[in-house]
Amino acid sequence: MASKSGRAVAELEVEKGENGRELMVGLYQMLVKCRMCDEKARILFRQGKYAGNFYSGVGQEAAEVGAAYSLREDDWIAPSHRDWTSNIIKGAPLKLCFAQLFGKATSPDRGKSTPAHMGYPPIHTITPASSIAGQLAVGTGVAFGLKRLGRDTVVVSFFGDGATSLGGFHEALNFAGVHRLPIIYVCQNNLWAESVPLRLQTALTNLSDRAKAYGFPGVSVDGNDVMAVYDVATKAIARARSGEGPTFIECKTYRWYGHSEIDPAKYRTKEEVESWKKRDPLVLFEKVLRDKKLLTDELKDKIAKTVTQEINEAVEFAEQSPYPDASELKDHIWAQE
Amino acid sequence: MARTLTMIEAITEAMAQEMERDERVFVMGEDIGLSGGVFKATAGLYDKFGEERVLDTPLAEGNIIASAVGASMVGLRPIAEIQFADFITPAMESIVQQASKIRYRSAGGYGCSLTVRICCGGGTGGGLYHSQENASWFVHEPGLKVVMPSTPYDAKGLLLAAIRDPNPVLYFEHKKLYRTAKGDVPEGDYTVPIGKAETRRQGRDMTVVTYGYMTSLCLEAAEQMSKNGVEAEVIDLRTLSPLDRDTVLESVRRTNKCLIVHEDKRTLGIGGEISAIIAEEAFEDLDGPIVRITGPDVPAIPFAPPLEHAWMVNTEKIVAGMQKLAAY
Repeated sequence: MASKSGRAVAELEVEKGENGRELMVGLYQMLVKCRMCDEKARILFRQGKYAGNFYSGVGQEAAEVGAAYSLREDDWIAPSHRDWTSNIIKGAPLKLCFAQLFGKATSPDRGKSTPAHMGYPPIHTITPASSIAGQLAVGTGVAFGLKRLGRDTVVVSFFGDGATSLGGFHEALNFAGVHRLPIIYVCQNNLWAESVPLRLQTALTNLSDRAKAYGFPGVSVDGNDVMAVYDVATKAIARARSGEGPTFIECKTYRWYGHSEIDPAKYRTKEEVESWKKRDPLVLFEKVLRDKKLLTDELKDKIAKTVTQEINEAVEFAEQSPYPDASELKDHIWAQE
Repeated sequence: MARTLTMIEAITEAMAQEMERDERVFVMGEDIGLSGGVFKATAGLYDKFGEERVLDTPLAEGNIIASAVGASMVGLRPIAEIQFADFITPAMESIVQQASKIRYRSAGGYGCSLTVRICCGGGTGGGLYHSQENASWFVHEPGLKVVMPSTPYDAKGLLLAAIRDPNPVLYFEHKKLYRTAKGDVPEGDYTVPIGKAETRRQGRDMTVVTYGYMTSLCLEAAEQMSKNGVEAEVIDLRTLSPLDRDTVLESVRRTNKCLIVHEDKRTLGIGGEISAIIAEEAFEDLDGPIVRITGPDVPAIPFAPPLEHAWMVNTEKIVAGMQKLAAY
């Protein structure tokens, strides 16, 4: 596996060791980076620094990082609204990610799409629409195109448990099964589709059972255990890359906050939230690293400081960037022939 | 060299030639491969290009378009077929949320070079769900181009232009024209520009704006009126979006009267938009009201022959509209 130190925390010198050590520290760094960026995005919204809304993925980082960490630069991600950090994992500069939140002219879409709906074409993250399951239908088409072109690139599609109720979800997975497309469907089952609990979403206990209906493997995994997700995902990615077709991965996880920043999530009990916070994916993984003597207080501080500095620079860049000019309203409707 | 072809032959030839010319082009849809399509538009392509490039899809219009959008994002040039325009509704999500907006919402980072061939139109006893002419639904969506040919020549040239266009193009084919419209079609490569109307008949007394199957009816009606000394100019829009406003306005400013004819329902049909454009831009040039001859505001074309006949625009209805307008 290729070194990820360049992507995880740009300037940090990771102590070189065996592959496993480098991988685990890299995963930890990415978890920290995603958590800190996501929390910062929430704070900035609450400070009124940007309008619209933000859909925090805090609590779900292990599903995101574990599933996407081993992707190559030419692989694709079809993210949903809660996957702003998938851009970070894939390697988008933080400055652009924060410019996206602020709707600035320096963002990849020049302020066209909303804060969390970020895509970045150079690294093949697809700008998502807000309509649920749309991204996995289009992502399936990308996988179809990649296969048709004879590439060994793959697509990772992120979505929540709610998306599995839509017709487009079933149509896409059926098509992917028929053509053994190079796509990995990663469902972050966080138990709530906005305010609707899973029991009203499906009669299934394991959403991965759905895969059977489409003729490819499905697996349910502890979505708060980054190594477990990574293990399942890398196998699925290798499978897809070698032409064996799709895999459905259900990551059982939890979002700590409301559906969005304007949702106080009063439909959930305090006990439920607290019980999941006790299974914080960062804390769980930190314990693993400390047991293996891969993480010291010093390294932890160094990572936090490096990420903090990078975030501060990104926020400053975003704040100082101009908004797009009103004259851009009608740009990018048509291709320039 | 030109030969006489039917419209369906012209459509098949355009696809075959473009698939030959451009490896990126492929066709996907329901029953289009092994069977060659309900109307045989893709007849012979499966044998020639194989199942990789002439793909029988699962029965799921939404996924046909969504997967075509995705495939176009990696540089392929899909031609997706919607067997009947009536069944495009499951694909509305993919068309209006993905195809029309992907370029805008990514500020040009992602494109969507997609052609959707859609069989539409009534007058063939198809009933409620095999007759709709609903192109106007999509004219409302910037980011989509909408075309509808009226002749075999245009059918080939517009389809080649659509496939090569870097934007999503909805290409509507009126099923009544498939085998009744015959005309000269060049063997070689040519395109008909998207966004340009064609004046099919010159006239000084009124402008008739129409498209698709209605064009031939309007030309017939114009010939009848000519016998009474009224010369109607007939404009075939060919493209509904983007609309060729200049050709329409130039003609109306010269003839000072305008009749708009379409098969689609009346309310918020494209005739309403064309009327508004003329009212805004050429109000002072008008010598009479803008007249619309359209399908009625009825949910869909009913099956029983007298009911279907009552829906359909025909030459008599158009002549009546022309007479009304000529009287001003």
